Amino acid sequence: MVDASLLTNPVYLLQNLVDGLARGAVYAVFALGFTLIFGVLDIVNLAHASTFMWCAFAGWVVMSLLNMPLIVGLLASMLFGGLVAVVLEFVAFRPLRQEGAERLSPMISSIGVSIIMVSLAEAAFSAQTKKFPSGVLDPKPLYIGGTDGVRVSWGQLLIVVVSIVLMVALGYLIRRTRTGMAIRAVAYSQRAARLLGINVNRVVVITFFVGGVLAGAAGILIGLLTNNISPSMGSDIELRGLAVVILGGLGNIEGAVVGGLLLGLVETFTIAYFDQGSDYKDAIAFIILFLILLIRPNGLFGRQEANRA
Amino acid sequence: MRTKRTVGVYLRYILYGLLAVSLAAYAIYFTQNPNVNDLNRFLINAILGLSIFVTLNTGLLSLANAGFMAIGAYSSAILVAKVGLPLFLSLPLAMLICGIVGLLIGLPVLRLTDVYLAISTLGFGEIVRVIIVTTPDLTGGATGANLSTGFPFERMRQTETWMLVLFLAFLIYLFYWLDRSKTGRALRAIRQNSGAAATMGINVVYYRNLAFVMSAVIAGAAGVFYAHQIGSIDNNDFRFSKAVDILSYGVLGGTTHWFGPILGAGLLTVLPVSLREVFGTSVAFFTQLPVIINGLALLLVVIFLPGGLFQPSRYRHKEMPINEAEIADDVAVSKESPPLVEGEAVGPPADALPLLELHDVTRTFGGITAVDNISFGIPQGIICGLIGPNGSGKTTLLNLITGIYHPNRGRILLSGRDITGLPPHLIAKLGIGRTYQNIRLFNDMTVLENVVVGHHARIKTNLFTTWLRLPQERRQEALARQEALGLLKRLGLLGFASQPASKLSYGDQRRVEIARALALHPALLLLDEPAAGMNDVETALLAEFILTLKRQGYTVVVIEHHIDLIMQVSNEIIVLNFGKKIAQDVPVEVQQNAQVVEAYFGQE
Repeated sequence: MVDASLLTNPVYLLQNLVDGLARGAVYAVFALGFTLIFGVLDIVNLAHASTFMWCAFAGWVVMSLLNMPLIVGLLASMLFGGLVAVVLEFVAFRPLRQEGAERLSPMISSIGVSIIMVSLAEAAFSAQTKKFPSGVLDPKPLYIGGTDGVRVSWGQLLIVVVSIVLMVALGYLIRRTRTGMAIRAVAYSQRAARLLGINVNRVVVITFFVGGVLAGAAGILIGLLTNNISPSMGSDIELRGLAVVILGGLGNIEGAVVGGLLLGLVETFTIAYFDQGSDYKDAIAFIILFLILLIRPNGLFGRQEANRA
Repeated sequence: MRTKRTVGVYLRYILYGLLAVSLAAYAIYFTQNPNVNDLNRFLINAILGLSIFVTLNTGLLSLANAGFMAIGAYSSAILVAKVGLPLFLSLPLAMLICGIVGLLIGLPVLRLTDVYLAISTLGFGEIVRVIIVTTPDLTGGATGANLSTGFPFERMRQTETWMLVLFLAFLIYLFYWLDRSKTGRALRAIRQNSGAAATMGINVVYYRNLAFVMSAVIAGAAGVFYAHQIGSIDNNDFRFSKAVDILSYGVLGGTTHWFGPILGAGLLTVLPVSLREVFGTSVAFFTQLPVIINGLALLLVVIFLPGGLFQPSRYRHKEMPINEAEIADDVAVSKESPPLVEGEAVGPPADALPLLELHDVTRTFGGITAVDNISFGIPQGIICGLIGPNGSGKTTLLNLITGIYHPNRGRILLSGRDITGLPPHLIAKLGIGRTYQNIRLFNDMTVLENVVVGHHARIKTNLFTTWLRLPQERRQEALARQEALGLLKRLGLLGFASQPASKLSYGDQRRVEIARALALHPALLLLDEPAAGMNDVETALLAEFILTLKRQGYTVVVIEHHIDLIMQVSNEIIVLNFGKKIAQDVPVEVQQNAQVVEAYFGQE
C-alpha cells in the first residue's frame, strides 16, 4: 500500500506536514465553535455547519460581487456568522431552555433550522459551487529551501495566522475577561450563575455570537483551502467537526485545537502515503470517532466521568 | 407557557389541514395519473417511521436509520442479484444482518449519554456509505447497484403494494401489543426517567440495546423493500438527509404512540408530491419548498408541540372502572417473593445477620468527601431514621446503597451478600426499593402504570409471550395490575389510579412513589424525605403506614427533617454531619447526644 520511495523523501514529509497543519487549523477553528457551545450550554448545535456554509457564501458575496479585499470579506463573514448564531439562539434554542423540555429537543430543532438554511442556500445560489475571486491572494506560493523545497501557499499561511490569532483571542476571552468568567460560570451551572446575579441569557447570546464568529472565520478559511463553496460544504465538515470535538473531549477547548490539527494531519498523510488514500480519507474521521468512543469516551484530554447511563 | 400551548393547538390544526389538503390534491392527481409509486413510497416511509419510533419512544436520538436502511437494501440486492435468493428469503436475512450490526454498534455507544449516541450514529451512516463506495466489487461502488454493475434487478421491481401493506400491518400488530407489555412499559419508563427506571429493577442498558436493535431491523426491512421498488440503489440514497427525513416522521407525527410516525410519514410523503403538482419544478425556491416546510415543521413542533402531532390521551382508554374484586390484598405475582400479608408480623429470625451492612464506605466528589468512612449495620425488621443537617451526606448515602454511585472505598452488604459496585437494577432486584427526595415518577404514565412498572422484575413475560399472546402473558399482567391496585388501596390512592401521575399533589405523588417501591417487594425500603410537602394529617397517616410496614416485616430507612416523625417511628437513629456518622442509637439517647445537639444548634 505504502509507496517506499515517498517514505524516505524528507521534503515530501515536510510538505505534507505543512498541508496537514493548514487543513487541521481549519478543522480546529470550526470545531472550536461547536465545542464552545456544547461546553457552555450542553447543546450539540447541528446548525453550526450550516452557519459556516452561509458565512462562506457571505464572504463570497462581499469579495466577488462587491469586489472587496480579503480582510473585509473575512471580517464581514465573521460578523455575519455571529449574527446568524444569535438569531439561532433566539429561534431554536431559547424557547427550549425551560424546565420540562426534553434534553434532545435542542438537537432536533437545530436539525430543523439546519435543513431550512441548506435548502435556502440551494434555492439562492443553486447547488453549483462558487469560487473566491482569483485576485484576493497572490497565487504564487512561497518556497522554503528553493523551488524544490517545501511549498507554502499564501492561503495556507493566512489560515495558520488567522487561526492562531483566533485561538489566542478565544483563550484570552475565556480566561482573562469578566465576560469569560461569566461564560465559565454559566457552563458550570446556569442556576448558580443566575443566583450570583449573572444575566444568563446575555451570556448565552455572547457565547452563540462567539461560536458564530468562529464558524464565519472557518467558512472563509476553508474557502481559501479548497476554494469550493457550495450549499453542501457544511455537511462535509460537520462530521469532521464532531469527530474532532469527540476526540478532544466534548466541551474541551484545548482538546478541539489539538484534535483538529491531529485530524488534518492524519487525513493529509493518508492521502499522501496510501494508494486510494483519498477514498479512505473520508472514513478516517469516523474511525477515530468510534475508536475514541470505545476506548476513551471522554476524549483524549477529558477527565470527567461521561458514563451517566 | 400559556401562549406556547395556544400556538401548539393552532400548529396542530395547520398541520392536520396541510395533510388534508395535500391528501385531496394527491387524490385528484392519482385519479388522473394512477400509479402506485407514491403509495409504495408512503408505505416504505411509514415502516421507516416505525423504526425511528422505537428509539424515540425509548428516549434515544439515533440518526443511524438511513445507514441500516442502506445495509438492508444492499444485503438484499446482493443476496437476490448475486446469490440468486428469492426476495422473501433475502428479507429475513437482511434484517438479521441489520440486527447484528445494530447490536455491535449499540453495545459500546448506548452505555454513554444521549449526545454521544446522536453523534456516533450520524458518523455510522457516513461510514456505511464510505464502505459502499470503496467496495465496488461487492456493492457496485460509487456507481450504485444497478444493471451496469451486475445487479440485474432493474426490471424486476418486485416490491408490490400488498407486501408493504402486509408487512406494515404485521408491524402494527407487534407495536400494539408491545405498548401493553412489560417491555413496552420499560421502554417508556426509560424515556421518562431512566434513573428511576433503573431503581425499579429495569436494566436500562439492555432495553436501550433492544430498542436500538429493533429499530435497526425494521429500518433494514424498509431498505429491502426500497431496493426492490426502485430497482437500483445508490449510496446517495442513504445520505444524512435521509436520516433527517426518517427522524422527521417520528418527531412530527408523534413519539408517544405508534400511529404518530405513520401519520408523519403520510404528511411528509404526500405534501411534496402535491406541491410538485401545484408549483411544478421550474422555480428553484418551489423545488426546495418541501424541505423548507419539513425543517420549519420540525422546529415548530419541537418547540410548540413537544411529543408530536398525534398524541392521544394515554389516560382515556385506561379510564376503565376498577372492579373491587380485582383488587388484590395478598396476591403475589410470583411465588418466591414474600407476599404482602396485612397485619401479620414476620419477626426477624433469631440468628439474624444485619440486613444491611456498610463497612468504611467513602465517596468523594472532586475535593469534597460527601460520605466519609461510614460503617453501620441495620438489623432486619427495624425502622432506622437517618438524620443530619443539610449537605451532611444523607442522600449520597442512599445513592451509594442503591448503586447510583459507587463508593471509592469500603463495602456494602445486603443480607451478607456483597453488593458494592453492582448496577442499580440488580440492587433493586436483590431487594432494595427507594423513593426520591425530588419526586421521580413517570409523569406521562397513570398512577396505576407507575406502580405496575415497579413489578417489572417479577412479571415473568417476554417478547414471545407478548407477541404470541400466550396465556401466561394475560395472567401475569392481570396479577401485576391486581397487586398494584391493592398497593394503591393501602396507600389511599385508589381514586387516582387512572390519572396521570403528574396531576397529583406533592404529598400524593410521594405516596405513589412509596407504592411503586413496595411493588418490588423489597426487603429494605429507603424513603428519602417522604413527608416533604405533606400536611400534618398526611404526615400522621404516613407515620402510621410506616409502622404498619414494620409490623409486616419490612426494614425501612427514613431520611426526614420532620423530627417528630423520626422520633415516633424509629427504633434506631443514625446521625450524619459533614459526611461522618456522629451517632447511632435509640431515639431517646440521640436526643441527649451532645455531638448531635451541637451539629444542629451549634456550640454553646
